[in-house]
Amino acid sequence: MISSHPMIELRGLYRFFGRTKAVNDVSFSVARGQVFGYIGPNGAGKTTSMRILATLDMPTQGDAFVDGFSVVNDPDRVRNRLGFMPDSFGTYANVNVREYLDFFARAYGLRGSERLRALRYVMGFTKLDTLADKPTNGLSKGMKQRLCLGRAMIHNPAVLVLDEPAAGLDPRARIQLREMIRRLAADGKAILISSHILTELAEMCDMVGIIEQGRLLAVGSVAEIQRGQQAHHVSQVLVRALGDAAPVAHWLNGRPDISQIEVDGQQVIFLHQGDLESEAELLREMVEAGLRVVAFGRQAKTLEEVFMQVTQGHVQ
Amino acid sequence: MTTLEPVVARDGDEPVSEPADRRWWSRAEQVLGRFSEWLNPILVKETRQALKSRQFGITFALVLACGWVWSMLGVALIGPGIFYGAQGVWLFAGYYVVLSFPLLVIVPFGAFRSLAGEREDGTYEMLSVTTLKPRQIVSGKLGSAVLQMLVYFSGIAPCLAFTYMLEGIDMPTILFMLFYTFLGSLGLSLAGLLIATVTAEKHWQVVLSVFLIFGLGLAFWGSCALVFEMVGWNSLPFQDEEFWIGNAAFLTGYWGYFALLAAAASAQLTFASDNRSTALRMVMVAQQVLFAGWMGWAWLKYGEMEFLLVFLMMSGLHWYAMGVFMNSESGELSQRVRRQLPQSFLGRAFLTWFAPGPATGFMFAFANLISVALMTLIGVLIWLMFNPMPTPSWSGAMTLERLLTFGGLGLGYVTVYLGLGRLLLSGLRRFIQVPMLLGVLVQVLLLLAGCFIPLTIHLMIPDLRRGYSLLEITNPIWTLGYATFESIVPDELFILWCAVPLAGVVIFLANVPAVVTAVRHVRIAKPRRVAEEDLLIEAQRSPPTPEPVNPLD
Repeated sequence: MISSHPMIELRGLYRFFGRTKAVNDVSFSVARGQVFGYIGPNGAGKTTSMRILATLDMPTQGDAFVDGFSVVNDPDRVRNRLGFMPDSFGTYANVNVREYLDFFARAYGLRGSERLRALRYVMGFTKLDTLADKPTNGLSKGMKQRLCLGRAMIHNPAVLVLDEPAAGLDPRARIQLREMIRRLAADGKAILISSHILTELAEMCDMVGIIEQGRLLAVGSVAEIQRGQQAHHVSQVLVRALGDAAPVAHWLNGRPDISQIEVDGQQVIFLHQGDLESEAELLREMVEAGLRVVAFGRQAKTLEEVFMQVTQGHVQ
Repeated sequence: MTTLEPVVARDGDEPVSEPADRRWWSRAEQVLGRFSEWLNPILVKETRQALKSRQFGITFALVLACGWVWSMLGVALIGPGIFYGAQGVWLFAGYYVVLSFPLLVIVPFGAFRSLAGEREDGTYEMLSVTTLKPRQIVSGKLGSAVLQMLVYFSGIAPCLAFTYMLEGIDMPTILFMLFYTFLGSLGLSLAGLLIATVTAEKHWQVVLSVFLIFGLGLAFWGSCALVFEMVGWNSLPFQDEEFWIGNAAFLTGYWGYFALLAAAASAQLTFASDNRSTALRMVMVAQQVLFAGWMGWAWLKYGEMEFLLVFLMMSGLHWYAMGVFMNSESGELSQRVRRQLPQSFLGRAFLTWFAPGPATGFMFAFANLISVALMTLIGVLIWLMFNPMPTPSWSGAMTLERLLTFGGLGLGYVTVYLGLGRLLLSGLRRFIQVPMLLGVLVQVLLLLAGCFIPLTIHLMIPDLRRGYSLLEITNPIWTLGYATFESIVPDELFILWCAVPLAGVVIFLANVPAVVTAVRHVRIAKPRRVAEEDLLIEAQRSPPTPEPVNPLD
């Protein structure tokens, strides 16, 4: 049965530790098949909100829902539907990869052939089948991350919460992880993922939420957040001139709506404060001033730039 | 233990005919594999771990080696006497030391470390987000401890058979001692698990582990001393009826507290919004009923007032201790708990007290104390219907007046201290969060203050130093001891009878508003999403039978 509600929903979530407001009125939702990137500096409240979602902690106020079930009041139903991969996790001594996954399959109530099928699928999916007999405490970081992802998805949950899954991975392992996450999303799983590697997130997330000091500063697709920032009338503009760009920079310098002018050969990049109308007016003035402009346009921002702009560079 | 079957078929694998012994082993593995489906996952995992663990291997090898060394040494020491005398008893004592050390120290400490280590290493969190219930986690860890015990037993079994063959100790005595050692190990393992749930902080875990090791060492030393004493007797009194009655009574108490500890360990691991209290309260009542049964039987059989006094005293202590813990529970009822509150008039009248919370907890303890007092009175009345009042056999023996004094004052004291504790914690909760341990600590300090502040003043006044004075009225231990066992001055007794029950009534009334608030909580409906899923599950369990669409269908 396809449920009509979001697969993940945080509703006015608060979590205080003494006077520290780790999570402060956070609300967002993630639909089936969507990958939601949760971005923020260290200590911003990402892990705390993810732990609440994974039924490892209780909110001070507000609630979070997984497939419509409250994490506070129905944690058992949430656990059936959610796979959680924490940022740091331990493994058992004297247990190999297959036994580790087998244990968690049993712990999720899988029995007999159903359990063996789940093991076969997960070990194939995470490419752990060649490491089946390797002790878990002898695995490399990347292998452990795959093992933990396998553990999180052993009971085929509809929702995956992945806290810094790419941390400490080499480029090849990161690419593999990205591929896995894409495939999981294509299978219809709702995925909440946090990462410091914003370029990675930008490539695989449908939506992002930017959190800082417990507060959610922006939610939406990268483009939507960018548009939201542009609603504040600051955009990065690139002008290419025929020949040297220095006269253009000279002409722009001193205008009250222009800042951070950078000249790079034939092109000038600067911040313009104003809406699209005023950008058109600026272009007209430049042409009328005899500047030989061959290209004029807004520069698309990377997720990193959006993040820095939203957090105003105050990363901790 | 079973080996998992390979999950990935390799290309080009040809079916190879196995030798007969290997085929037999594969079949045995398959049978064990099927059997393991029904076992607790933690038991399966920990058994796999233990079989590969160096610590378990070394300990088991040491047990075998010590058993072997003691056999050699024992035989050498006994010398030719081994052919003529009954020397098995002294060899048994040595083997007991070899066996009881892993059973009473290593296995319980291993159970503690098994859970504490999971909490330290972060593996417990992974376990707690699975669908395993806290009860399964506790029973799995305990099952693993039991399995280790059985392995140690099996290792030392040939040595024990050897002692039996040497004579000097009979099989029932050996089995009796081993049975109680097993129970001791089981109980200590459960206690170790409960202690591991108390805190996840590493430094506190270290402190607790030091106390645990000390306690386990004491248990080991005590059990060895007891066994050495017992093997000195010719035989245990197996023919004596009272020996078995005593054992049955002990086992009733043992299993009662075992169930309580197991429920407490599960409650500690239960999610904060879930009901952590009702199961514990049910066990407490069951313990009370069993204890009342034993004491009632003893009173009616022997007619000695001392049994009633023990019943009152132990019940008072039990409910004070339980009340302290219940008072320390959180006062907030989660929506999840409120969905399960009783709805009907009768349900609310009798079952509300099983719901979590300090107010219901106070009332629960008070109601049980009243029932204890009533049961005692009924017991006395039943006796008097058929028998004359038992005459005290000695001057300090219990009389009905003393018993009533003890019961009345004891009830008053427990009500006062529990009621005051609840009020104090309720005030404290307005300013800070009060975790269970802090709540217990505050109430213990309250009791200690009630005992030691007047005692200090008492000792500072030279005229009062000689004996009891009414200044000690807040000291329940001295006051009850004085009023029950010594020749109390009638005026003092009158004042005590007026003041203590009156204070109990006042404190009880002060708690009534909170109790009324707790009773007013009503059941709330399930959220729509939960109700939808419940309906779906129900429909899947019992699909509707198709109705006939016409008379001929």
